[in-house]
Amino acid sequence: MTLAADQWPAYAEPAAGPAGPSDPRQRSGTLVVWRLELAKLRGQWRVRAIALMCLVGPFVIVAGLNVQSATPGDTAFGQWVHTSGFAIPMVILGFGGQWLLPVGTAVVAGDIFSSEDHFGTWKTILTRSRSRGELFAGKFLAALTFATATMVLLIITDLLAGLLAGTQPVVGLGGQLVTASHATELVVVSWLSVIPPVLGFTALAIFTSVASRNSAVGIGVPVVLTLAFQVVTLIALPAWGQQVLLSTPFTAWHGFWEQPAYVGPFLYGLLTSAVWFTLCSAAAWLVFRRRTIGGAS
Amino acid sequence: MTEATGHVVEARGVSKWFGETTALDAVDFTVTPGVVHGLLGPNGAGKTTLLSALFGLVLPDEGTLRLFGRTRAEAGPGWLDGVAGFVETPRFYPYLSGRRNLAVLAGLDGGDAAALIDQALERTGLAGARGRKVKGYSLGMRQRLGLAAAMLRRPRLLILDEPTNGMDPAGIRDLRTALRQLARDGVTVVLSSHNMTQVEEICDAVTVLHRGKIAFAGRLDAMRADAPDPVWRLRTGDDGAALEQARRSAGVKAERHDDGGLVVFAAQDPMDEYVLTLARDGVAIRGLELDVTPLESLFFQLTGEAGQPGETRQTPAGLFIPPARPDNVPVTEEVP
Amino acid sequence: MSRRLAAGAATAVITLLTLTASGCGSTGLTAPRLQTSLSSTFANLYVLQQTEQGNPKPSAASLKSQASCQKGGTPDIPQDGSGAWLCQITYLVAGPGYPVIAKYNVDVQTDGCYAADGDGPASVNGSPTIIGPHYAQLINPLSLIDGCFDTT
Repeated sequence: MTLAADQWPAYAEPAAGPAGPSDPRQRSGTLVVWRLELAKLRGQWRVRAIALMCLVGPFVIVAGLNVQSATPGDTAFGQWVHTSGFAIPMVILGFGGQWLLPVGTAVVAGDIFSSEDHFGTWKTILTRSRSRGELFAGKFLAALTFATATMVLLIITDLLAGLLAGTQPVVGLGGQLVTASHATELVVVSWLSVIPPVLGFTALAIFTSVASRNSAVGIGVPVVLTLAFQVVTLIALPAWGQQVLLSTPFTAWHGFWEQPAYVGPFLYGLLTSAVWFTLCSAAAWLVFRRRTIGGAS
Repeated sequence: MTEATGHVVEARGVSKWFGETTALDAVDFTVTPGVVHGLLGPNGAGKTTLLSALFGLVLPDEGTLRLFGRTRAEAGPGWLDGVAGFVETPRFYPYLSGRRNLAVLAGLDGGDAAALIDQALERTGLAGARGRKVKGYSLGMRQRLGLAAAMLRRPRLLILDEPTNGMDPAGIRDLRTALRQLARDGVTVVLSSHNMTQVEEICDAVTVLHRGKIAFAGRLDAMRADAPDPVWRLRTGDDGAALEQARRSAGVKAERHDDGGLVVFAAQDPMDEYVLTLARDGVAIRGLELDVTPLESLFFQLTGEAGQPGETRQTPAGLFIPPARPDNVPVTEEVP
Repeated sequence: MSRRLAAGAATAVITLLTLTASGCGSTGLTAPRLQTSLSSTFANLYVLQQTEQGNPKPSAASLKSQASCQKGGTPDIPQDGSGAWLCQITYLVAGPGYPVIAKYNVDVQTDGCYAADGDGPASVNGSPTIIGPHYAQLINPLSLIDGCFDTT
């Protein structure tokens, strides 16, 4: 193994123009980083595992409900799962939404920055043609893309699983009978309404990942916080205290199923998610922007 | 290149602190186009910090840094265009193959970088290992992959941090040839090392860094003029006579070495004269080697890191390469 | 670095939560809101129950259902917040009608959703199932009522 030294100069054609780049930037750097990060994500087993869970999970639940007569109690729509398929996606959302969805996004977002610390590769990618801002934005965007794509996939499979189980009208939370077409809309809209808090958790996980430079902390803190929110929710907080929690927007969809429907919690939840999202992304960027890369000392 | 100063790299008054530690202390560092510039200093002198600052990995607390005449703020995202290299050991994604790693980096670079991957692997001698995961690479292979990754960028400024770490002697020799060739083609090379001998062989100009400060900066020939006499190890058939002869020769100082033989301090010309005289006097020359080059002596003086000349074996590990390097320097004199 | 940050974040969260928990302000979980929601949901479900049993379909409005709720079943504690409530729903049945009172134990959650468990009369909400046409066993919609109201 030798360096074929004499052949190297082929590379060294001095670029034309004064300080011009060796290649023109055809695409936005952020999009370039975003595409590469998505490619890296596709190769991760945990990403594949989550995708698989989203793909088959709802159908497994439907199959499970079919073989037993008991109904999941203690949750809205629980008693109607054998009556109408539309109840099933809502039970899944009510049961798992508050903790399963944040954990799902944190597993990816809490690692996307700190994995570069783990492998010591920040200096490798930061010495290419992309600025810190582009790398930050591209990675951030990739995490958001994963979260959104997963949600969309889950909405589709949930709805399909529900339709498969039965399209009878379902009893809404106002006691009204909801027709199949309207129920389909409500299922989709309810699931869409939890995307903002999911993205809030994504930003939170990115912040903890950037700040800690450690994937265990990056993933662990948002997960622990999810559980903490659940515990805190049990305390009798004033309404505005309840609204501060990033877990509250996950329950806003209940209002859509009322008669008359109300959207107040959803709008407040949108605000809460936006505040968390903005604060966490800004904090992450502030930490990342001027950080020292590598063990230089 | 730079309209204002003509410097590829221009650092003015750059300081960096890590907590209480001063890593760089008002460093001025300039590199002219088309030279191989050595950044020299013992471990911990601040070399890596300075190179990291050139890449924007470390942001200086004070001072200004220009690459091709532009500061980071002026250049924006294009700050590193035409710049390539690595600091510390090059790091890659261990779970990807060498080739996949380069593909990721080429993707970041855009342009035709991806088309250069196979060439780069071939020319760094990694063609056979391209499909292997990087976690199985040796240190020397990672250094080569680091070079390959740098070459994808068609650099006009190549920054290498201790590139010879972990390389075998053949690899070092090839690197030297390659860097000289690049410099002839107009590529500016900045490389750091703690090893004066290597720098002496490769570089045109040198900056010596010591505890975050510049101890010397200039062209190597200017440095040579300042340097003290080289130190030679001499073994003869009659050390007593040789000592006696040294006392009579101008510009030559000799003393006995603890391990036998003599330590001679002399510049090249007086040394030639001295050896020829010994031969004429019938003193057999059994061995002659350059123990400490003049620049090494100067480096040790500047950095205060080494012991006395002639005792280089006792210098801290890593500062001195053992003299088993027949092709590196003219270690034997012609003896008639 | 990471530990300090984590500790700082934890302190901030705990401080915030303590402040909110002890702080002023209503939970938004008030008796009038619960009463409005429960009575209207009950009316809708009563209609459903009657239809499923094959009885003539009344209109929800004709029931003139009215709920009256007390937290903990006593007026001595603040009538606000999550937890156990006792509710009575008065409604009119059939024609000019006579009033019937249905009782519910209501568990109100902090997000404004509640589960109302029927507590009599047995014929109305006591049994989890009802008999539909052709003797089919159906879920009694009045036995367990899930509902929500806006707390904002």
